[in-house]
Amino acid sequence: MRFLFTILLIAIVAGIAECFGPWWVAALVAGLSCYFARMHSGKAFLAGFFGIALLWLIVALWRDIPNGHLLSQKMAMLLFKQPTPALFLMVTVLLGGIVGGLSAWAGAQLRKLA
Amino acid sequence: MRLMRLVPLLLVVLFVWTLNHSFSVSLPAFGKILDPVNGILASAEPLHPDFKKEVRLIGLQQPVHIWMDSALIAHVRATNDHDLYYTQGFLHANFRLWQMDLQTRAAAGRVSEVIGAKALDYDRGIRREGMVWGAQHSLAAMEKDPRTKAMLDAYRDGVNAYIQSLKSAGDGFRLLPLEYKLMGFYPEAWTNLKTALLMKYMARDLSGKTDDIAFTLLRDKLGVQAFDALFPERIKGNQPVIPEGTKFESPSLPPARMPTGAIWAHFGKEEISFWHMKGKNQSPAFAESDAPDPLHEVAVGSNNWAVSGAHTQSGRPILCNDPHLGLNLPSLWFEMQLTAPNINCYGASLPGAPGIVIGFNEKISWGFTNNYRDVKDFYEITSVQPLSVSAGNPVVWQRPAAYRFQGKEVPFEQHIEVIRVRGRADVKDTVLYTLQGPVCFDPGFRKTSLDAEPPGHSLIACTWMAHRGTNELLAVYLLNRAQDYPQFQAAITHFECPAQNIAYADGSGNIALWGQGQFINKWKEQGKFVMRGDDSSTLWGADIPVSENPHVLNPPQGYVISANQQVTDSSYPYWYNGDFSEWRSWLIHEKLKDILGQETSRKLSMEQMMRLQNDTYSKLFEETAHSFVAKSSSAFRDQFSGWNGRLEANSTVATRFQLFWDRLYRDIWQDDFPEKIRYPSTEQTLQILLSDSTSAYYDDLSTPQKESLQDIVKRALRESKDSLKKLGQASETKSLEWYAVKNTGLRHLAKIPAFSYEYLPIGGWSNTINACRGNHGPSWRMIVEMDDWPKAYSIYPGGQSGNPGSPFYSDFIEQWVKGTYHTVQFLRADKMDNPLPYTWTLSP
Repeated sequence: MRFLFTILLIAIVAGIAECFGPWWVAALVAGLSCYFARMHSGKAFLAGFFGIALLWLIVALWRDIPNGHLLSQKMAMLLFKQPTPALFLMVTVLLGGIVGGLSAWAGAQLRKLA
Repeated sequence: MRLMRLVPLLLVVLFVWTLNHSFSVSLPAFGKILDPVNGILASAEPLHPDFKKEVRLIGLQQPVHIWMDSALIAHVRATNDHDLYYTQGFLHANFRLWQMDLQTRAAAGRVSEVIGAKALDYDRGIRREGMVWGAQHSLAAMEKDPRTKAMLDAYRDGVNAYIQSLKSAGDGFRLLPLEYKLMGFYPEAWTNLKTALLMKYMARDLSGKTDDIAFTLLRDKLGVQAFDALFPERIKGNQPVIPEGTKFESPSLPPARMPTGAIWAHFGKEEISFWHMKGKNQSPAFAESDAPDPLHEVAVGSNNWAVSGAHTQSGRPILCNDPHLGLNLPSLWFEMQLTAPNINCYGASLPGAPGIVIGFNEKISWGFTNNYRDVKDFYEITSVQPLSVSAGNPVVWQRPAAYRFQGKEVPFEQHIEVIRVRGRADVKDTVLYTLQGPVCFDPGFRKTSLDAEPPGHSLIACTWMAHRGTNELLAVYLLNRAQDYPQFQAAITHFECPAQNIAYADGSGNIALWGQGQFINKWKEQGKFVMRGDDSSTLWGADIPVSENPHVLNPPQGYVISANQQVTDSSYPYWYNGDFSEWRSWLIHEKLKDILGQETSRKLSMEQMMRLQNDTYSKLFEETAHSFVAKSSSAFRDQFSGWNGRLEANSTVATRFQLFWDRLYRDIWQDDFPEKIRYPSTEQTLQILLSDSTSAYYDDLSTPQKESLQDIVKRALRESKDSLKKLGQASETKSLEWYAVKNTGLRHLAKIPAFSYEYLPIGGWSNTINACRGNHGPSWRMIVEMDDWPKAYSIYPGGQSGNPGSPFYSDFIEQWVKGTYHTVQFLRADKMDNPLPYTWTLSP
């Protein structure tokens, strides 16, 4: 329960923070959340991963669907030479997950230092 | 051990820093751009937007309404000039900021700042051409006139208001145009100088390319007689912009006399191996080509014509214009209507400059084609000390302190150009200035895309009309408001460079055409070749009064037309030369005469004009089929006898003919011009093929035997068959249809393939009326009928939005390819309610 709650918390707080700050505040939010949530490293990584991945997935779809995948297709072409919008979205979500996961893991480790 | 737990933190910080950093222009900050909240996806615009907006802008004086149709064509309604141009600046920036930024950086030789050292040669070239120097002169001229000063200031404030608004969201990244995010740089504040730079950028595009250096080399090689025969100033049968027989006023200036004595520069013959090939064609069909420009066709061209009401169905004059410019995305033009007290004007505006450049208002309409009279000349400068140059790459040389002029020593002015380079230290480059102008070529820099590369280590300075302080913006301001022919005439007086053929039609039934620009009273051949710079007799003389520029009002033929051809017949009292081309002029004349010559019941309609603008018939083919080429070769007749001569998109015969012509042209000239610097024009080549079955030029000098035309045609047919085979295997589309071989495309300004459109199924070539080459073509098509209320059709390749993430980025392309138009909604100034779907309200 606490795990799911942390994921949601990370997604929501990071979403709000990103409205006002640069993209890397998402990493900060994931890290701090797991610092205070006192989680094991593995669990923290997953919470951070899914928290940010969830946020980025929702925002990406919210932007991409009304756009008719126009831009995600062009970006997939630009980055991967494939006209597959889903590929661009997957890489986006994966990157968000990794950033979130690593930051949360670092937060949890830092907590053990304290 | 406990401190090991800090390692993850350090790793994460490093990881995030890396993702936040753009290492080069092609390696963006992936974290920044992939973040969907603020990154690339924040630039994804909905397909069906609710395009209504209310914006508060500091700096506006009164509320402004912008009405937009479903293609985002903007109709601005302001209560004063200030708000009108402020809003235009705001709108241009809103839709095209990145493009405006990049184009003005390009005009200033500042591309290295954003894309790094690979643009260094380009930037150095621009600085040496004196582009910024010229822009500063024009800025002073524009700011001296209160009308254009007010226009510029308001426009600048509007652009900057938009740039300011970008900072309002998040950390200022989210609202940035997409390309800034990808390329990792930020917009800088707009200035009036940037508008001046943009105007010079257009002047460079349209008046920058010359033959002076090429012709100097060629005349020395061929001798005067052969040179004049192969590169005549006037093509036989040309139909000039100002119809033959038009009476010119007697000149107010005395004729300029060619100075006696040594006036020409000669580049030593031993240097000929330095000659450099240039102008590689973009098309894969000619990728293997080693000729300077296989079809010798200038890339930048245009058509305009106006037909008197006596010949139209409605009884009102019709004006048509399609300027052929570089085809890029975002498109060069932004379509809009500007309405305020004393102005109600519609047409194509240039993002980066206020006003409507090509268009119409309630009473008059006008359109441009490039005039091509030579207004850029070169001088060989003699330095006082012999140039000390050491071979090697890069060349090391000592800049001389002074040059000779009229027997005296005159010190060079030194302009130190500081070029900022992304990811590297600044580069300092010294450009020498003489009283003729900047030294464009010196031993340390000889690259240019605008003429042949001069051999040896000479210093070559340039005098160019585009260096002068001119105020074309005032011409635009007055044109937009002109109500009749005298006001039109007064307006275009200020259009000095780039010189344009300006077609005119008005609601009272007048049509006119002006070969407009600022020209010099030159002696015969002045500036046709590189001149010696040590004597005052080669300097430019007096300006020809603008009122004496060639023009015609309501000619008896009932129409006017220009398509970059020769400007006048030989009765024009002032001498000039230029880089003219005749093919499209012949075609348009022929078609218009054809329609007008028929029964009066079949008068001209707007639809006929649309078909004419999209015509792909090749006069080159027609003439070839009438020439000794066809007479000497039954194989040629067999291959092409049933063909209609149209370079249609899906025609493979068109491909075959174009390839054949390319080979034939080259086989005739390449042995005579092994330096590959310039071949005689296709027009002149055809003259020979039509009139001479045994010309000595047909013989291939590189073989011991003597070839006849028959042999050369046979060879060209064989070679074109071979290249056809190669093309079929090599081409990306595996198609031999003409569109696939020539590949007309709309390429993104940053050359990002994913944002570009290639292999558009469109016909034509630069010698057909629909002049679609690989990367040049009709950048705007407009047809206006000057009825009591003007009726108009328009289209341009692209879309109103510059954002590749917007559905409005490319929504005009299909229509442009098909040759269809949208119906212009030219709204009356007294219309108070919005008939269009969207309203933006801007208020102070």
